[in-house]
Amino acid sequence: MSFVRNLFFSLRRYRFLLRQLVLRDFKVKYKRSVLGVAWSLLYPLLTMSVLALVFSNVFRFSTPGVSYIAYLLIGLTWFNYFSEASNLCMSTIVANFPLINKVYVPKYIFPLSKCLFVGINFLLTLIPLYLVILLTGTGLCWQHLLLPYSFLCLFLFTLGMGFFLAAVSVFLRDMFYIYGIVLSLWMYLTPVMYDIDIITNRPLRFLMSLNPLYQLIRFARTVILSHATPSAAQFAGCAVPALLMLTLGAWVFKKKQDRFVYYM
Amino acid sequence: MELPMIRAQGLGMQFNLGVEKGFSLKQGFIDCFDSRKRAERKRHSDFWALRDVSFSVSRGEVVGLVGANGAGKSTLLKLVAGVLKPSAGTLTVRGSICPMIELGAGIDMELTARENIFLNAAVMGYSERFIRSKFDEIVAFSELEAFLDVPVRNFSSGMVARLAFSVATVVEPEILIVDEILSVGDLAFQAKSEEKMLQMIGGGTTVLYVSHSTASIRSLCSRVIWLEHGRIQGIGGADEICTLYENHALPCLHPGAAM
Repeated sequence: MSFVRNLFFSLRRYRFLLRQLVLRDFKVKYKRSVLGVAWSLLYPLLTMSVLALVFSNVFRFSTPGVSYIAYLLIGLTWFNYFSEASNLCMSTIVANFPLINKVYVPKYIFPLSKCLFVGINFLLTLIPLYLVILLTGTGLCWQHLLLPYSFLCLFLFTLGMGFFLAAVSVFLRDMFYIYGIVLSLWMYLTPVMYDIDIITNRPLRFLMSLNPLYQLIRFARTVILSHATPSAAQFAGCAVPALLMLTLGAWVFKKKQDRFVYYM
Repeated sequence: MELPMIRAQGLGMQFNLGVEKGFSLKQGFIDCFDSRKRAERKRHSDFWALRDVSFSVSRGEVVGLVGANGAGKSTLLKLVAGVLKPSAGTLTVRGSICPMIELGAGIDMELTARENIFLNAAVMGYSERFIRSKFDEIVAFSELEAFLDVPVRNFSSGMVARLAFSVATVVEPEILIVDEILSVGDLAFQAKSEEKMLQMIGGGTTVLYVSHSTASIRSLCSRVIWLEHGRIQGIGGADEICTLYENHALPCLHPGAAM
């Protein structure tokens, strides 16, 4: 219990630092770019156009009954949040060594700030997503109000992964290479660009459905594309892996954080 | 009786010098089979930067730290600042700390001076309200009014140091940790920054002060801790310990004193 209380106090004390770190990332990201924040909207639209062009015309992927473009964009938005944020988290401790070595700052604040920073970008990419939802005639429904639940679970899952990666990469720099490979494999194993039903091997399909990111994306697709309320199993499928990952990541990070300074 | 501001009991800090090499598969493989070799290598690479250090500092005391390079002074400061966690013993620190160990922690070259003041202040753990109320004071002291919205990467190194110094010294901490008196910038600013530091040290706060100049230790400190190879060699009045330390460090200048 005292752990939670300490966390609460240090978050209160360092909330100004947290905001400054997020703000810094935002300012640095768009420095010296002419279009600035507009890139947050343009970039996902353009990548999605490329992918939609390739997959619907060259590979002839389609999702019967729903717009393939909307289907693809949901998967991409959710998956990109995870891959970008977790990737940024991984280098936070190593990159902030000079700082950690000079003054005391709670170290968890670095991965947390990255997850929040990419989270703001994520919210911005919802604008092109809703544009696509409207333009493709997918339409809206009251269940959209359930989507923040999926955002929250995605955030917690990514944060847990970020803690884990940030801690491990201090001791094992190979992680930077390994995780790059893991991410691209993960991307193809997650039904982002294709429908999971094209997998005909039943045991394999079952294994793939255990992927937490698939569960998170499926939740969003159920709401946006099918206009349906996700089942209780789907709600649990989002929250359980998120909380497990967060617990694991935070535990590893907390256990190892005092040893970070030795590995500069 | 009032509780001491800093209290160390049997403090020890161990570094593993072999850690630099990191983990290699070959080493790990060999270690699996030869635990004797592993223990031996570990013993060779373990190094105690501090050992059995006990002392306490009461409110308002100015305590100096002397000792040769590598005696453990900076390690001790980092422990008090909370950057390092002790490997043995206990350390209790009461009150807010301003660690002036190295300036400019968290300066981002891509940001402007104005943005950096806020970022740097946040890194030092100050609140937003505090820094907004002190903003003008910081800017005035740094004399960088004309460059507030210039990215710091276009600054000269002296200007960066002035900015960092001004942010760090705006506080009135309960415990001040100083690693050498920092005088930064050009001649005029050096005088100004030194005066500011002396004023902070003399202002009634609790100070832990490291210096190689026994003259400044004598004039500022009430008590001195002399560290040698990570252990306390002497602790006591400034004059007494400084003389002992001088005789030990510079035996040729005081013939006969080293005997």
